[in-house]
Amino acid sequence: MEVFEAVAQPKRREILRLLAGRELGATEVASRFAVTQPAISQHLKVLKRAGLINERREGTRRLLSLRPEGLLELNEFLAEIMPASLGALKRAAEKEESANRGAGAKRN
Amino acid sequence: MPAPSETEQVFEYEIRIAASAETVFEHFTDPAKMVRWMGTEATLDPRPGGICRINPAGHAAMSGRFVEVERPRRLVFTWGWEIELLATPPQSTIVEVSLTPDGEGTVLRLAHRRLKPDAVRYHRAGWEHYLPRLALVAAGEDPGTDPWRDLPVVTKELGI
Repeated sequence: MEVFEAVAQPKRREILRLLAGRELGATEVASRFAVTQPAISQHLKVLKRAGLINERREGTRRLLSLRPEGLLELNEFLAEIMPASLGALKRAAEKEESANRGAGAKRN
Repeated sequence: MPAPSETEQVFEYEIRIAASAETVFEHFTDPAKMVRWMGTEATLDPRPGGICRINPAGHAAMSGRFVEVERPRRLVFTWGWEIELLATPPQSTIVEVSLTPDGEGTVLRLAHRRLKPDAVRYHRAGWEHYLPRLALVAAGEDPGTDPWRDLPVVTKELGI
């Protein structure tokens, strides 16, 4: 259940969103927030312990990325409890959302 | 000419700032600089689709996404409140900021679009409160602590 505790905190969800689809340095992650670096380090520690992010070193840089295996646990839990009809609704909503997003930049 | 839509209105504001466009731009994209003029907290990931979340005075958070990021001339982000507030849910409105160099300074034009009629005056009051603070901060001056952090002050000024 550590995974769920990790994602229960809004800042930690924001960190996961920052890392979606890319690798970022720990300093870069902290620079996206107006809070102190130690506070962000603490959140990173929790995410790492929960297996949601990977860390590798490149020289003095700490590079962070999402850990798919950790995310799978969340996904499996949702898949298990989500009724099939809700799954269809989710897919339809996501399709609409991405269509809207695509149009969003053009709309005025 | 068709009348403007009754369900969507635009608030526009223009202010000259004694700082470069690059400096002004950074005050919209660097959280540490943003909170000097607006926000008790901010999470900013300035790239299309990136997080743009600001809690202007510590009473309610605005949750948006960056749409266009063209350093240092243009910035577009969605704007809406996380709690039910001012008839403006997340993603429902859009803010466009354009920066034009003007001598030693920069002219900032801000347009807040798709506001519901009820929401216009609150957002006008907000931008008219915060953008002059930005002008001071970007020019290297200290605007002091935001008086709107005091809840009775902000509710009185907004009439809510």
